[in-house]
Amino acid sequence: MYELLENNQLYIVLTIILTIWFGFIGYLFRLERKIKKLEEKK
Amino acid sequence: MFEKLFLKISITIWLTIIIVVGFVFPIVDFPQHWYEFPLIPGLEDKARNIFFHVPMAWVTVVAFVMSMVYAIQYLKKRTSEYDIRSVAAAELGMLFCVLATVTGAIWAKFNWGTFWNWDPRQTSIFILLLIYAAYFALRSAIDEEQKKATLSAVYSIIAGVTVPFFIFVMPRMMKGLHPGSKGDSEGAGPVLEFKMAPNMLVIFFASLIGFTLLYWWMYSVSVRLKRLEEKV
Repeated sequence: MYELLENNQLYIVLTIILTIWFGFIGYLFRLERKIKKLEEKK
Repeated sequence: MFEKLFLKISITIWLTIIIVVGFVFPIVDFPQHWYEFPLIPGLEDKARNIFFHVPMAWVTVVAFVMSMVYAIQYLKKRTSEYDIRSVAAAELGMLFCVLATVTGAIWAKFNWGTFWNWDPRQTSIFILLLIYAAYFALRSAIDEEQKKATLSAVYSIIAGVTVPFFIFVMPRMMKGLHPGSKGDSEGAGPVLEFKMAPNMLVIFFASLIGFTLLYWWMYSVSVRLKRLEEKV
């Protein structure tokens, strides 16, 4: 894995973009969980 | 309604362009066209990371400073609206801070050999993570809403004051691996010294603006949700 990234540096950039993407998706999951709680309360 | 929708579509298109451009524009030894990035020895294709990693750190600063400003407003006016805004900004600041740390660690592995080097900038962002982790620990430890809001507002102000020091001042006072550290032959870094190629600089600033606007969008959603939570 390390060698693959080392030899294809664009994949490192892709890894960084995907990290950010998953961070945002994680935040979206958290928001949705909160909304679900609110819906259950109502 | 239309204006907001227009803004959201614009942010989406804007950031999509940044990601595509940052990813596909070729890096060549001697750029001849506006769409070619110059080769930076030692960085090569990894130089593209600057369009994605640095905006994470930038938005962290924006969010934590916003949290501090709303905390001041809360202490002045004592309305829960400002507490909601302050905590929403701090939560997003934490998210972007984690993303800046993780993306930086990945980049560090391929440029400096290890994920973590205790470089001054890495150390300072780690301290910021600890400071804001304590902010959330403080909030969760207090049940009474008004007391929670007041104490966390005071803490947010103290924490917010340290942010510019840890992000902009301390890493420039000490020797380190990041550009712009003390003793760096490039001076204050490629951005502040305007040593970055003009086309890279444009995309870099466009990325800063794009991610800041995305943060604003996420922040608005978070504030609206917190208002609802308070009502229900």
